Amino acid sequence: MIEIAVRKALIGSNGPMKLNVSLEIAEKSFVTLAGESGSGKTTLLRILAGLEKAEGTITVSGKKWLAGPRSLPTQKREIGFVFQDYALFDNMTILNNLLFVNKEKALADHLLDLTQLSEMKNRYPGTLSGGQKQRVALCRALMNRPKILLMDEPLSALDPAMRSKLQHDILKLHREFGTTTLMISHDPSEIYHLADRVILLDHGEIQNDGAPKEVLLHVKGSQKFSLTGELLEIIQADVIHIAIIAIGQQIVEVVLDEAESRLFKAGDTIEVSTKAFAPTISKAKDKVQR
Amino acid sequence: MNQIDAIITHIQGDENINVVSFEAAGQPMRMMALALDRSLKTGARVKLGVKASNISLGRAPLGPISISNQLKVTITHIDTGKLLSSVKFSLGKARLESIITRDSLDHMNLQAGEEIVALIKSSELSILKRL
Repeated sequence: MIEIAVRKALIGSNGPMKLNVSLEIAEKSFVTLAGESGSGKTTLLRILAGLEKAEGTITVSGKKWLAGPRSLPTQKREIGFVFQDYALFDNMTILNNLLFVNKEKALADHLLDLTQLSEMKNRYPGTLSGGQKQRVALCRALMNRPKILLMDEPLSALDPAMRSKLQHDILKLHREFGTTTLMISHDPSEIYHLADRVILLDHGEIQNDGAPKEVLLHVKGSQKFSLTGELLEIIQADVIHIAIIAIGQQIVEVVLDEAESRLFKAGDTIEVSTKAFAPTISKAKDKVQR
Repeated sequence: MNQIDAIITHIQGDENINVVSFEAAGQPMRMMALALDRSLKTGARVKLGVKASNISLGRAPLGPISISNQLKVTITHIDTGKLLSSVKFSLGKARLESIITRDSLDHMNLQAGEEIVALIKSSELSILKRL
């Protein structure tokens, strides 16, 4: 069991705030930390890694990593850390990047084999694609057989096909090495595929904590299809009203009755929802005319 | 989703709202729509779509009712679940399905082979594509 109870004063996106997190994490589980930027996710990972100071306690399998003023140094914490920007040594070959952590050549070869990088082991990071670099970073993070693998948006700089490949590798290594994995992610598809549990942080506090489907499913009453958007305009057509709404990068239209049309105005942030029975789906190239 | 091949027989409306009439397997159909794709003109062949949960079933004569699409069809098969039932029927070459509650099925005592009326509100019908 990993028990965390930490507090730290931070400067958040809306001025000063307090990170105040208490949670227990089962060993070998895969947890994602989600939440808006400035909510304290990265700080929490860095506190776990011993890269930032905090008040409180961290206990990992009965061992105190943090207890009041006593803090176990980063190198003694049995962690692996994967950053968004790879952080490889450019002047060392792939193999030497791994051996820098630990001289166990057999382990390095095994990791490179698992992630299909064996053929590139004598190349330098500068000659690799982003996805290959991140696989090297992942292997390197596992070279000291960490108890906890910490990843800060490891896939956010990669294209969708490479993300899916890396998701597969991350899950394979998480299982094979029996690590407890904490990953920061904003991508619902990634969270759904990888995590057993999602912790949603908001202004330094845990706002929601549960299985990905419970936390991520956006519901409105019994309506299981709900999206947040911005109302751009309401136009009248015949006896009905048409709301034009921006959702993400797209614009959609929703028909309103007269009473509804009077409740909203342009600029309102609104929930667009319907029962799970109503929407239809098709392969993205077919256009549906409504 | 249920798919029905149809021909556009008439388009009424303006830029923002339209009522489109069709003929499908010799029967009239009608759809309420917001702005339409410009390629849709009278005489165009289209594939219409309607979700199985949006098709109601009735027995003739229905009496006055506001539902625009009242298709005479014959039940080919019924799958009875614990709570819901799936009633399959054909309209010309199209094989369609309606999902209704088990209670409604029992209450109407629907049987395979029976001629019934499939009811679809014009707002629940959409054009999937031009053929």
